[in-house]
Amino acid sequence: MSKKVLDSKVPSGDVSDVWKNYKSSMKLVNPSNRRKLKVIVVGTGLAGGSAAASLAEMGYQVEVFSYHPSARRAHSIAAQGGINAAKNYCNDGDSVHRLFYDTVKGGDFRSREANVHRLAEVSVNIIDQCVAQGVPFAREYGGLLSNRSFGGAQVSRTFYAKGQTGQQLLLGAYSAMMKEVNSGQINFHNMHEMMDLVLVDGKARGIIARDLRTGEISKHAADAVLLCTGGYGNVFYLSTNAMASNVTSTWRAHKKGAYFANPCYTQIHPTCIPVHGDYQSKLTLMSESLRNDGRVWVPKKPGETRDPIDIPEDERDYYLERRYPAFGNLVPRDLASRNAKYQTDEGKGVGSTGLAVYLDFRDAINRLGETAIEAKYGNLFDMYHNIAGENPYKQPMKIYPAVHYTMGGLWVDYNLQSTIPGLHVLGEANFSDHGANRLGASALMQGLADGYFVIPQTIGNYFGSENLGEVTTDAPEFAAAEAEVTGTIDKLMNIKGKKNVDEFHRELGLDVWDKCGMARDKEGLTKLLKKIPEIRDEFWQNVNVPGSKDGLNQELEKAGRVADFLEFAELLATDALDREESCGGHFREEHQTEEGEAKRDDENFCNVSAWEFKGVGNKSVKHIEELTFSKVELSQRSYK
Amino acid sequence: MSGESINLKLKVWRQNGPKDPGRFEEYQANDVDTSASFLEMLDVVNAKIIKDGGEPIVFEHDCREGICGSCGAMVNGKAHGPKDKVTLCQLHMREFKDGETLVIEPFRARAFPVLKDLMIDRTSFDKIISSGGYVSVNTGNACDANSIPISKENADKAFDAATCIGCGACVASCPNASASLFTSAKISHMALLPQGQTEAKKRVVQMVDQMDHEGFGHCTNTYHCEGACPKGISVENISRMNKEYLKAKLKG
Amino acid sequence: MALSTLQKKQLVAVTGLGLVGFVIAHLTGNFLIFKGADALNDYAKFLHDLGGLLWAARIGLIAMFVIHMGLTANLVINKIKARGSNYAKFENHAQKPSFSARIMPFSGVVILAYVIFHLLDFTFAEKSGIINGVDQGLYGLVVTSFMDPLHSAIYIIAMAFLGLHLSHSLQSIFQTFGLVSVNRLNTIRTISTAIGVGIAVAYSSIPVYVLLNF
Repeated sequence: MSKKVLDSKVPSGDVSDVWKNYKSSMKLVNPSNRRKLKVIVVGTGLAGGSAAASLAEMGYQVEVFSYHPSARRAHSIAAQGGINAAKNYCNDGDSVHRLFYDTVKGGDFRSREANVHRLAEVSVNIIDQCVAQGVPFAREYGGLLSNRSFGGAQVSRTFYAKGQTGQQLLLGAYSAMMKEVNSGQINFHNMHEMMDLVLVDGKARGIIARDLRTGEISKHAADAVLLCTGGYGNVFYLSTNAMASNVTSTWRAHKKGAYFANPCYTQIHPTCIPVHGDYQSKLTLMSESLRNDGRVWVPKKPGETRDPIDIPEDERDYYLERRYPAFGNLVPRDLASRNAKYQTDEGKGVGSTGLAVYLDFRDAINRLGETAIEAKYGNLFDMYHNIAGENPYKQPMKIYPAVHYTMGGLWVDYNLQSTIPGLHVLGEANFSDHGANRLGASALMQGLADGYFVIPQTIGNYFGSENLGEVTTDAPEFAAAEAEVTGTIDKLMNIKGKKNVDEFHRELGLDVWDKCGMARDKEGLTKLLKKIPEIRDEFWQNVNVPGSKDGLNQELEKAGRVADFLEFAELLATDALDREESCGGHFREEHQTEEGEAKRDDENFCNVSAWEFKGVGNKSVKHIEELTFSKVELSQRSYK
Repeated sequence: MSGESINLKLKVWRQNGPKDPGRFEEYQANDVDTSASFLEMLDVVNAKIIKDGGEPIVFEHDCREGICGSCGAMVNGKAHGPKDKVTLCQLHMREFKDGETLVIEPFRARAFPVLKDLMIDRTSFDKIISSGGYVSVNTGNACDANSIPISKENADKAFDAATCIGCGACVASCPNASASLFTSAKISHMALLPQGQTEAKKRVVQMVDQMDHEGFGHCTNTYHCEGACPKGISVENISRMNKEYLKAKLKG
Repeated sequence: MALSTLQKKQLVAVTGLGLVGFVIAHLTGNFLIFKGADALNDYAKFLHDLGGLLWAARIGLIAMFVIHMGLTANLVINKIKARGSNYAKFENHAQKPSFSARIMPFSGVVILAYVIFHLLDFTFAEKSGIINGVDQGLYGLVVTSFMDPLHSAIYIIAMAFLGLHLSHSLQSIFQTFGLVSVNRLNTIRTISTAIGVGIAVAYSSIPVYVLLNF
């Protein structure tokens, strides 16, 4: 495996001044030239929506693509908790530096310092922008914005709109975008799925899209392409991601030459409603604030069948409190998740599937009263009651971890440009800011930072530095890409096998979850790497896609996405096997401290692995970006 | 946690495209786990239809946690089914009895043409928003977020209106297929905030006109919409829209 | 300039409010019957003697009526078009389902039919009001008419529909002009229903009085 070093293009200088100085030295595009430049934006979540609106306001011609019928349906809408910003409105000592520091540390020292600093800097502008758009953040009685502490942060820097912050921020970006649709500056192609990226002279110059209503394949040329298409959590089949969330657009760009960075960094959320049957289609996340008052436990005896309320105190194992006396139930997400797995692995799991642990509010209700608990967690309790059909005031909740965010993504430089010139990647789809683990309330921040404040600057620098000739869809590259897309679709339609698309997806997901989920080891990953190509081969011989390719065909849409997951999963496992250390969301059983903590190997792995595609089934080539830290000191975390 | 299992008969609306007249078809859903959500029940029915060589029932869905606004159908004559304040994806099969027959049809309105089976085109909602449901503030224009205090009461009311998920249950349940609750929720959200004042008059007039233009009906104050809304959005918003509209028209 | 549906609705409400004014004025006039034949007949004469003013009022009234009905008809056609195709099954969704709201166009048509009947019956009638051989003018006409139970029944049924129509429309006006806040909605509904029922009862008291006393 050759090691090639990647250039992050971070300008030189002190990390805290880099963005400020860079902004004033970047090349600009004058307004009359912007009118002539066309930018394709794929995806309309926080990153895509905010980027599309901002670029259109600046005068670029923007072509927006979404497989949803409306831009407002993007999965950013489901984010609950909040958005961080270093406003220090609470006068509790917060600052840009502190937010930067917390994010780098939270990412287990696997993120790019300069990017994170920029993120912390623009975080304050995001809040201003959103309030100006009319985002109804929570307020205090004095009329000023309310903040809360989130995810164990020592300062209150999280802005929120009840449990629907993602929805309100997305609707803000959506409304800004729809304003530009109205003015004609944005041309919105709804229900159009990006099928491939088109390169002309080595630069990203357009995409091939499929109209999901008619099946029509169309070619679209532009001067730059922005992928804002989210993460790949659905490779696990069951996750808290929306049903349609997929890796297709980033994977197809990867196959065209964009490197994929750190795919093994996946985040597991500890407090989700557990799986209840094999018909289960997705998992639902509940805010981890529940762990503030709930106590996590399992029966001491494996295979316990009694009702939880009948199990006496001395036969319960409050394993988090026992193992981590200082932090107890409030240990970080990854520790809480992994420990739940260890309990269920020992057969102490509860519920019909044995894949759940109890989260018990009995003591909190006795101490504070039902009314106080209701005031704090009422909506979460209602949600649990509705989905699980059990009353959490009377019986302990059952919870289990689930995948809900992926830190890995297409590799981008400081300009958010991938290894393909002109292809920029924003939000969860890129790898840049969260390192090996994302802190709570930081996903919304990053999506909007990229879209509102970073790309509008850096894309100008790209246009100003490159001499882009005119390209139309008549270029032979478009025809070739179109032929490839049509060929793949025909192939899928013609297999006419015996198994449904979902069966393959479920089979793949369960295996990836089992061997490349909360904890990974060499043996499991090796097995997984053998299994994935087998599932993939069977898929291409035995999948059944009913209906026709002309017109609305949801099974065909799913088939294309699952086909990509079947290729992507191999890279995920390869990366997990290759990274011989534990960090953040990547936990290798072989690399842990005596206390069971993740053990990093800063000597060999203080870097980004960016993978280059070499053909399906062929070994990908790893490129390295070294990570250096000038403002923070690498340390090992401990929650004992 | 798995529940009991029940058997159901489904009468599902099948329609090949906007021009197809459509018809009901019957399916048997056996051994439905009552812990499953309504959409998971449909998943299982679809898996069987595909195995039997048919084409699955098309329905729209995405987040399956009640926030994206994609799902929705009339189940036994009620938008999002019999349970109040939930979307179809959050409706669970324990709400139904063994042996029941469920009539499942799409939300119907001229402004929501059926794309296929239960899937409708709600682009008309986007057009209402793009006609004025925004504050014209370009990126970078904003002043400090705390420079304009907003009373908690108004901020909370604005939030309540802004929680609309754009599912269209209000239109589906309205005897007049009116989009008044949807449109008024956005108008209210903006009208309650100082940021929304500058464009208030233009906004309400344009959005109401757009609502007509898309082919929605008018409001006759029957309040079906409020009862059908999975987010419990109040008809007080329609009242506020009417007042804003009158104000805009009278003051010009 | 084309009117929006909301403007049409607000115009229906304004004209409706004007018509409610007429209904109340008419009722006060009618109540003179309880003061005896002279009071009612003098009132009728007073109105007739207004001459041009009476015609102005009549034209105004007709205009309100025409606008009220014309726009409503237009909106009804619009709402049928807006639904497109009908549901195979449809249940009520409203938390407090309102019968009067649902039958508004129907109660309106019943009232219209009655108004035509009423005009032919009283205003343009060639009948005389002879009671016990004495012509008692309008008073006599009213009394003889209501002595016919069928006639009274028609009148009372029409007034019931008027009551239903009003009980929805009065509260509806508040919503249509944005004058309600949610916490007052229930009070307004109750008051509106009370007024609707009150007007229906008040009007109906006249035939009942006639039937009981003559």
